[in-house]
Amino acid sequence: MLTIRSFDTKAGDLFADGELPGFVHLYVGEEAVGVGACSALEENDYITSTHRGHGHCIAKGLDPNVMMAELYGKAGGYCNGKGGSMHIADVDAGMLGANGIVGAGPPLATGAALTSVLKGEDTVALAFFGDGAVAQGQVHEAINIAATWNLPAIFVVENNQYGEATPVEKQHNVQNLSETAEAYNIPGFTVDGMDITAVYEAVKEARKRAANGEGPTFIEAETYRYHGHFEGDQQPYRTKEDVDIWKDRDAIETFKGRLVEAGVITEDEFDEMKAEIDQQIDDAVVEAKEAPYPDPSEAYEDMYSATVPEISQFSSQMRADGGEDR
Amino acid sequence: MTTTVGLVVNPAAGRDIRRLTGGASVSNNYAKRRTAGCVLAGLTLCDDVEVLVMPDSSGLADRIVSDAPSELDVGFVDMPVTASGQDSRTAAAHFEEHADAVVVLGGDGTTRDVAHSIGDVPVVSISTGTNNVVPTPIDGTVAGEAAGLVATGLVPADEATIRHGTIVVDVERDTGTSTIHGLATVGVLDRAFIGTRAILDPEDIVGGVVSRASPAEIGLSGIAGGLVTHRPDDPGGVGFQLAREGASGTRVRGITVPGTLSDVQVADYQVLDDGEAYTFEVPRGVVSVDGEREHEVKDGVVRLRPVSDGPRLVQIDSVLERAANEGYFRD
Repeated sequence: MLTIRSFDTKAGDLFADGELPGFVHLYVGEEAVGVGACSALEENDYITSTHRGHGHCIAKGLDPNVMMAELYGKAGGYCNGKGGSMHIADVDAGMLGANGIVGAGPPLATGAALTSVLKGEDTVALAFFGDGAVAQGQVHEAINIAATWNLPAIFVVENNQYGEATPVEKQHNVQNLSETAEAYNIPGFTVDGMDITAVYEAVKEARKRAANGEGPTFIEAETYRYHGHFEGDQQPYRTKEDVDIWKDRDAIETFKGRLVEAGVITEDEFDEMKAEIDQQIDDAVVEAKEAPYPDPSEAYEDMYSATVPEISQFSSQMRADGGEDR
Repeated sequence: MTTTVGLVVNPAAGRDIRRLTGGASVSNNYAKRRTAGCVLAGLTLCDDVEVLVMPDSSGLADRIVSDAPSELDVGFVDMPVTASGQDSRTAAAHFEEHADAVVVLGGDGTTRDVAHSIGDVPVVSISTGTNNVVPTPIDGTVAGEAAGLVATGLVPADEATIRHGTIVVDVERDTGTSTIHGLATVGVLDRAFIGTRAILDPEDIVGGVVSRASPAEIGLSGIAGGLVTHRPDDPGGVGFQLAREGASGTRVRGITVPGTLSDVQVADYQVLDDGEAYTFEVPRGVVSVDGEREHEVKDGVVRLRPVSDGPRLVQIDSVLERAANEGYFRD
């Protein structure tokens, strides 16, 4: 959680300074959901993510240095610098991609779960998606088919209370988004997304169920994003006091308090750990800044797994034209 | 003279993980709205009743008020909304001053939240939550009628309510003592964290104290009920401790969660007098209150005392039978 907090806080600062290309959507405040959920998965399990995906990546074990390189558009990034914040993916690590399309993750998770069944594997696929995405047609299709085919999938709604600028109660006719699970005849329930132990336990139970061939589970984690929908969002739809109510329940601070109380960690050890992580992220920034951009000749690579003649033609033409100019 | 009835509908009740881990049924907000509508319809049995509804942030209370029968004067309690259990407590504190009876739609947790601020105002508690011990699973119209009859005094509250016991929990640590309150059950669990709050595994139960015990109930009061029956209005309660790690004890079969019959080994149990403490030394664990993990404990002593200071619960059948015997339902 500290790594995510540090990474995304730094990303916000860098974006404000004009350092990063593209948009960034930050996960600050929601860390307990991603970390709690991914901690309950097995290493070979799959996740799908959202436009607010840095936290999911880190929670699934991706390298913050390689992620930072991707944010900077550098060749050493997860997508060789061509994806940026909203498209970080690492299939080998089970991270099937952040996604700029709202609600595009659940169909991928359903597909990954179907793959697991067809190949006779014991992996489970978990989709993170937001409260706004719950109203998307493809999310309904994905959950419906996963439920109908009894696939090993877990659908985790990160209800951060706003779909962009629209409060959740103005988007949906149910109080708890987990009520929608009834439409698919699968279990649905709501957990405190500001408590990592609650999310962990919930996903652990859902994973057990999926692995036993009992089908998908729908989990709503109630959480909050401290930053705007995107960096630069003026947030006229909420007040500082609204945000402070949730910050008072901050997942990192409350969990730290419980660990200190239980004698698992001391305040000094926590501060030391945080300082180490902040330094790691600072180093990642330095490394990313100094790293090379991808070669322009690679602009048409990594787009399709199979060779596409038209792309090969463009690529050859660009090389012939001496397309090193950026 | 106008009679005031308070209505507390907990929008969050009935949505936790026990829909996955136990056989708990789903209680959605549409169902709660329909039940609340039935309560309001039941209240039209009596004349000159006004209803004050606890507001919430979900729109549930708004719909209940807008759909209310036209002959009923229905409005909101003027209070801040926090979208937490505090709302039930705030509303109850208001009703203690301003209501003649209160109807609660929720589970044990909601009823407890209301109970601790409601004073002597009679409470009609209807089940919409999970594994409920205290609330009655009953049609809202019937409950509304009973609430109206008691609130207006047509059936005297003294003759149609019972005083439910409560449990005071003192958690003593080197750093000080903290006190929390339970209504029907308080347990000590061998779990490190609150987590999803539900009691997931019967093997986690170290022991507990209940203010009522019956084999017809689910959870800790059902386990205690396998040993001895203790009515909700009997003074005192029952304390018990389970045998740990294969040690022998009295075997008790109880329903720990809906759909789960468990055999537990009881190492010790005591019928407790009013205020008598039953104590657990807890190196690390969690205190559960009315079916939910509530308080993490490290190196503490947990002292549980049943106390006869709970809410006055309306006995719905008694109210209606008495009204009928007095000819209220006839011309």
